[in-house]
Amino acid sequence: MKRYLSQRLLLFFPSLLGVLTLVFFFIHLVPGDPVEVMLGESASASHKEALRRELGLNEPVWMQYLGFLKGLAVGDLGRSLYHQGKVMDLVLARFPATLELTLAAMAVAILCAFSLGILAAWKHRTWVDRCALFFSLLGLAMPNFWLGPLLIIAFSIEFGFLPVSGRGGLSHLILPALTLGTAMAALLTRMIRSSLLDVIHEDYIQSARAKGLSELAVWLKHALRNSLLPVTTILGLQFGSLLAGAVITETIFTWPGIGRLTIQAIQTRDYPLVQGCVLVIAVCYLVVNLFIDILCRVIDPRISYGR
Amino acid sequence: MVKKSKQYILRAFVCLWIPLAGCLSQPQTPPGYLVVGLESSPGRLDPRYATDANSVRIGALVFNSLVRADENSRLQPDLAERWEAVDERTYLFHLRNGVTFHNGKPLTAADVKYTYDSVLDPATRSPKRGPLQTVEAVEILGRYLIRFRLTAPHAPFLENATLGIVPVGSPPVRGLEVNLIGSGPFTLEEHVPGEKVVLKSNPVYWEGPPQIAGIVFRVIPDAIVRVLEFKKGTVDFVQNDIEPDMLPWLESHTDAAVKIDQGTTFQYIGTNLDHPVLRLREVRQAIAHAVDREAVIRHLLKGLGTGATGLLSPAHWAYEPRVPQYRFDPEQAKRLLDQAGFPDPDGDGPLPRFTLSYKTTTLDLRRRIAEAFKEHLRRVGIELEVRTYEWGTFYEDIKKGNFHLYSLAWVGVTDPDIYYNLFHSDSFPPNGDNRGRYRNRETDALLERGRRSLVSAERKRIYSQVQHILARDLPYIPLWWTKNVVVMNPTIRGFIPYPDGELISLKKASFSAAKPPV
Repeated sequence: MKRYLSQRLLLFFPSLLGVLTLVFFFIHLVPGDPVEVMLGESASASHKEALRRELGLNEPVWMQYLGFLKGLAVGDLGRSLYHQGKVMDLVLARFPATLELTLAAMAVAILCAFSLGILAAWKHRTWVDRCALFFSLLGLAMPNFWLGPLLIIAFSIEFGFLPVSGRGGLSHLILPALTLGTAMAALLTRMIRSSLLDVIHEDYIQSARAKGLSELAVWLKHALRNSLLPVTTILGLQFGSLLAGAVITETIFTWPGIGRLTIQAIQTRDYPLVQGCVLVIAVCYLVVNLFIDILCRVIDPRISYGR
Repeated sequence: MVKKSKQYILRAFVCLWIPLAGCLSQPQTPPGYLVVGLESSPGRLDPRYATDANSVRIGALVFNSLVRADENSRLQPDLAERWEAVDERTYLFHLRNGVTFHNGKPLTAADVKYTYDSVLDPATRSPKRGPLQTVEAVEILGRYLIRFRLTAPHAPFLENATLGIVPVGSPPVRGLEVNLIGSGPFTLEEHVPGEKVVLKSNPVYWEGPPQIAGIVFRVIPDAIVRVLEFKKGTVDFVQNDIEPDMLPWLESHTDAAVKIDQGTTFQYIGTNLDHPVLRLREVRQAIAHAVDREAVIRHLLKGLGTGATGLLSPAHWAYEPRVPQYRFDPEQAKRLLDQAGFPDPDGDGPLPRFTLSYKTTTLDLRRRIAEAFKEHLRRVGIELEVRTYEWGTFYEDIKKGNFHLYSLAWVGVTDPDIYYNLFHSDSFPPNGDNRGRYRNRETDALLERGRRSLVSAERKRIYSQVQHILARDLPYIPLWWTKNVVVMNPTIRGFIPYPDGELISLKKASFSAAKPPV
């Protein structure tokens, strides 16, 4: 386990560097001039050139890349070209909102998926199973930009007990979390159901029943634990999708998260800010997947890692 | 066993949700505040940096300037009680006595000089420096008297006197904007970029304190959500940020007070005159005849536009109505294309006379308009390839001249000297915005005279001729002037819409009934 952990940690940094390198060069390839965003079009060519020099934007891209790496090594992500503030401050100010939304969406997805998935497998080929499958199909088919306004119309306008948008207390979190978590809940429901159905006829389940355990104990302790492995892997991968999917949900619900900040940064060609946002998202994604790999090992101690 | 499992589930649920339930929903808006819904976030509010429409409009409520444009784009006194042109290169401004900044300090000529010097200082990196480059010196002649000396006669100089004034010593703000001090009817309470701007009424405003307690500008990027926020009553006021399709629904499902007035935003099709086909005037005129503007205004804009004859709207003092106009006439368009040497190869068959590309943004309405134009031009034998881009990429292509046809709008046109920037042959990018590379010696000479002349009547004559030539040559194919649409809480009184979308009259707005916290 220790060896595996150290191997994974060693891979963590090259993966992060790879992501940052790709994003750095891609964002510089996209047409657009941050200096014009800052100074306006009416600024003289010499004025623009002077600022370009001051910001180091006149240097070859690879030189700028080295400068970026140097800053990164000492934890300095630079200043936002558009907002003028420190990138780290801007990103950290928005990150808690995205994390809050993503975790709430995951909580919604896990609560719904486990309840529905277990019920569907337990009541296999009954109306409960068919209802669960229908709802999961519906959840997968509904895009966020459609589901979000639909939930607002239902719960904020018609029933009137939840706010339409913005970030505040728990009541502000419910609709965005439902919107973002629905598709993941639908996918996980199907995964849990089919995993449970796969293991429920295994010999060790019959042995557990023969030992005289209650049916609930058989399902929760023996069947569910053994069906968790693929579900956990998907959960880790889906976390990245949730972070990415949060961009649309954040826009619909005016949620002040990192997704909207990233979009604004791309639109204004704010290179340092784009890098900062991507860095945070990439770190989260890699950390969560590392955690999931470790969790898989805990769930199934038989797993050995590439010897 | 079952009992134990239930306990675990219950504990897990409680552990997950109780901490979150601790942060109960709080009212987001203090009582008596007016909530304005915005589509996009204002950038920087410091008047030395504010360039986007929302920053400029919000800034005008926090900062005063020497002069201010009225609803007819005519300049009116603001901090300057009066001003005079001593000669072609010298302007004197007599400042109002008794104006104080939000920190209680009196506003004097020293503050005006500091603000302009700060903009002119290259270290400030102000985007307003370019238009002020004709300013040679700003001199204090008395506590309330200031003189501007120019390097050359420059009629549009007064337009630069609309710059918001900051107190002496105000450093250019880097990062989050707090403690921005102006002398306007509202003080800046909070600015959360991308989220909201909160203004509070200035109780000692020199024109008298505003009647509303304050204004919250909330950024709500999604069009449907903006409308739903209004329906719920959590937004009181939206100007122009309503999709035309949604207006009928709002009118029938809410008690909104809707005001629709003629606006000055000018939508046009830009043409690239370096293109071998588009450089022919007949082709541009044919396109103008082929496009059915009225159908687009009626069906896609839901009537929220008026067919345009040129850049200046009828509300502008220099507007010239007697210019060549191009009614929808596909047959005339075909004749013009034949004359230009592009006969239709197979009559009404599928083969086009030629193919052009049309660039626009990915916004839904822009895409639908582009599809309508494609069909209009197909009928006269021109094949249009519609290409949609994300805004940054689209705009970069337009600035580089990498287009055949594109559509954009000009917002907030005040001085007609804008024609110099758009159509003078010295104004090819990067020196100006003559992106289609229009060249005409007669227009150049008129535009040079227009910016030198300080006599209003003479300027009007000059710009009438300019409008006439441009309507004939069509470097821009005029489409429409967008109407201003204000949707507001019916209890709001005293708001006067400006054709350019300015919000300055919110300083006189009030609620006719007490507004509960939301």
